[in-house]
Amino acid sequence: MSVPGAQGSSIGGYRLAVLVTLLCLSWLPLAAQEDEGSVAIRSASADLVDGVYRVEARLQYVLSDNALDALDSGVPINVELELQVIKARRFWLDDVTAELEVNYQLLFNALSRRYVVRNLNTGEQDSFATLYSALNNLGRITSLPVIDAALLEDDGTYRIRMRAIVDVKDFPAALRLIAFWRDDWRLTSDWYEWQLAP
Amino acid sequence: MTVLLAGIGLLLALTTLLLLAQTSQSSEQFDRLSGITLLVNAVGIVVLFILLVGNLARLVQDLRRHVPGAKLKGRMVAMFIGLAVLPLLLVYYFSAQFLNRGIDSWFTEDVEQGLEDALELSRAALGIQMRTNLNLTLRFADAAETMSEPALVSELVRMRRETGAVEVTVFASNSRIVATSLDRSRVSVPTTPTDEMLLQVAQGRPYVSLDPLEGGGYQVRTAAPMQADVRSGGRYVVQALYPVTQRLAAMADSVGDSYTNYKRQLYLREPLKRTLTLTLTVVLLVSLLASIYGAFFFSRRLVAPIQQLVAGTRAVAAGDFDTQLPQPSRDEIGFLVSSFNDMTRRLAAAREEARDSQAQVEAERANLEVILARLSTGVVSLEPDLRIRTANQAAGAILGVDLESRIGELLPEVAKGHPLLEQFVDVARVHVLAGENEWREQIILRGDVGRRVLTCACTNLPAEDGHTSGFVVVFDDITALLQAQRDAAWGEVARRLAHEIKNPLTPIQLSAERLRQKYLRGMAPNEAQVLDRATHTIVQQVEAMKEMVNAFSEYARTPDMDMTRFDLNRLVREVIELYRAQDTTVDLTLDLDNELPPVDADAGRVRQILHNLVRNAVEALEGQEDGAIDIITRAEQHSGATLATITVEDNGPGFQAGPVEQIFDPYVTSKPKGTGLGLAIVKKLVEEHAGSIYAENRRGGGARIRISLPVDEASREIIVSALPRRGEQRRERA
Repeated sequence: MSVPGAQGSSIGGYRLAVLVTLLCLSWLPLAAQEDEGSVAIRSASADLVDGVYRVEARLQYVLSDNALDALDSGVPINVELELQVIKARRFWLDDVTAELEVNYQLLFNALSRRYVVRNLNTGEQDSFATLYSALNNLGRITSLPVIDAALLEDDGTYRIRMRAIVDVKDFPAALRLIAFWRDDWRLTSDWYEWQLAP
Repeated sequence: MTVLLAGIGLLLALTTLLLLAQTSQSSEQFDRLSGITLLVNAVGIVVLFILLVGNLARLVQDLRRHVPGAKLKGRMVAMFIGLAVLPLLLVYYFSAQFLNRGIDSWFTEDVEQGLEDALELSRAALGIQMRTNLNLTLRFADAAETMSEPALVSELVRMRRETGAVEVTVFASNSRIVATSLDRSRVSVPTTPTDEMLLQVAQGRPYVSLDPLEGGGYQVRTAAPMQADVRSGGRYVVQALYPVTQRLAAMADSVGDSYTNYKRQLYLREPLKRTLTLTLTVVLLVSLLASIYGAFFFSRRLVAPIQQLVAGTRAVAAGDFDTQLPQPSRDEIGFLVSSFNDMTRRLAAAREEARDSQAQVEAERANLEVILARLSTGVVSLEPDLRIRTANQAAGAILGVDLESRIGELLPEVAKGHPLLEQFVDVARVHVLAGENEWREQIILRGDVGRRVLTCACTNLPAEDGHTSGFVVVFDDITALLQAQRDAAWGEVARRLAHEIKNPLTPIQLSAERLRQKYLRGMAPNEAQVLDRATHTIVQQVEAMKEMVNAFSEYARTPDMDMTRFDLNRLVREVIELYRAQDTTVDLTLDLDNELPPVDADAGRVRQILHNLVRNAVEALEGQEDGAIDIITRAEQHSGATLATITVEDNGPGFQAGPVEQIFDPYVTSKPKGTGLGLAIVKKLVEEHAGSIYAENRRGGGARIRISLPVDEASREIIVSALPRRGEQRRERA
């Protein structure tokens, strides 16, 4: 319905304005996809050892060229493992009983020409002559304590899920905007989920 | 609404820009907020953009429709935009240039080469130590080749102390610790051998590596194969960890960090430039859009009062003086607006005053009209071309034309067919044509009914330019007044005559009779005959004079009224019977109304009226063979009053040509005999009864006199109260 008079004209004007804006926005380039890296969980399990559930897992990290360039240029890469113990509930949303986050940092030491893997939670670090060894080390999770069995209800049904996130956090301030818009700065694996055997 | 929206948009954009600057300081905050920040910025930009395009569209539309103030607004917007945008773009361009150049200038070949050389130098320095340390380990491996395990332990301790190693450990091929010596001040447990080390040593090659330490610094890890492990079939491995001297480590760290930082920045140079440019662009966009919107906003603010003024002026031009504009500010435009408001207020007040005075004039005019309408004086105002402007009721009544309904018409046109008015116009026209501004005249109009005497006064209405804008004619019918004056004069004459003449008559008569008695008998017959004739004549003439004086005194006499109720018809019959007995040559016919009610009147006076009328008719018919008199009585209703009318008709010669009314004046008579007072007395007596008398000549010859008397007091009241309002009756009454 067209309304005569100034009111109508201004409404028409704003309609036009919105149209023009949408047209302009449609020209914004979408994030370009380049050589992709990947992170995937190959296997994972939890064993009850001395009353504590410990996770064994194997992950495979493939860094994108971009990430590799960044690493070689001294930019550290962060790897974050997220673990959740989830209790299944009937007629209700599942409850996250426990959450665990383990942070690693992978960096290249130029002087010694070695790749350093640092566990940010414990502060421990190892160095490797090759990236392969370093990624291999990162991808081998052994005996990671997740939850005390005493904290779980006997009759509950629990499952654990896990995923890994690789991203570059320690950018200089100004660069974060770019990092935010580019997918290959941040890799996230699918959730890997398994039933917790009592 | 849009201003609010724009304000919110601008505020959001600015806030997020600040947030952007703040959050880039720390990674944690940035991760949480960067998304929102950018989104809000984008939304802010989009909102501002929409508002701008909307404003622009409206401005273009206004320009096309020639809305008042649109051109001014367009110019102001262009000026504001020019003022704001050009500097912004300049600053943006130079900022971007400086940014890129500045970032590029951080990186030079020299610095890069220098850093690489320094790194290489550090590596070389550390390499010497690594080789030395490896040699020490190899030597120990050689020396311990043949040693037993207990001897090995003491050798480990000695060797560690000699070489300054942090830790020396011998592993079996399955990573079992065979022997170890630790610098307890630095490590607590033996360091686990790494896979790559074990792999290399298993291949029979010595291993050396520079391991970065957790808290900074380095240590040299060396390993060498030893004698065969009989139990597992592999070889023993010795791993020795040597510290790098504090000074060297610090320097190596410094060099390493510098190099890494440099490399990192070199690598991030382009993304950094892009990021900074993007941020700058976002800031530019927000500022640009905000300033353009500001241009629109302030232009609108500035132009709005002008547009209101234009609209207000148009309203005033269209006659709406109640327009009041909102006071925008205290500046010159505000002054203009308040002046405008002042003007409209004064205009409104002036109009109100004019309206009031107009109403006052109207009221006075209405008053005047009422007064004029009630006035018995005729007032007519005329245009210079004798067109009727106004006329009151009395004017119409006097002139016998309803002038009020002919307003706007030419007076001469209206006068056609109305003899009274025609004569009036003729007189008036003479004065007007003579160019007299003010004149006064007594006009005598002759009509069917009789003579009318008007006193007429005219004055011109002066116009502003000194010319005449019309005339006002004021006239009064003074016929009745003149009549009354004449009646009064005659009454006075009669009284004087009665008094002055009657007195000497009796002595004259007596003297004459004495002369006769005294000298008649003693005189000679011929002389006695003369005396007898002379005295007889004197006595006879004196008798005649007495009769005449008596008649006069009767006219002047006004005895009290003796009102009784009587049957008028019977009175008429009695009077007529008397005349029938006296004279038989005149045929007297009665036509009496049986419905006639009894009349309240002075019976004696009414009898005298009848006598006079009949005698008048009989005298008029003297010497005429077929003389006939008709006496007719009727009862009539007149505006609520009951009147008894008596009409006396004869077939004699009728009244002489001339004013019929004058026959009621004393000494107006058409007869050789008679005192000339008969009809004057009748009229006087009729008027004493509040009645009216009317005389006219009959068409077929002869005279007709008609009198009407109110039958009772109520009717008399009605007639008396009605008389002044009706010109015709009033004239008869006087």
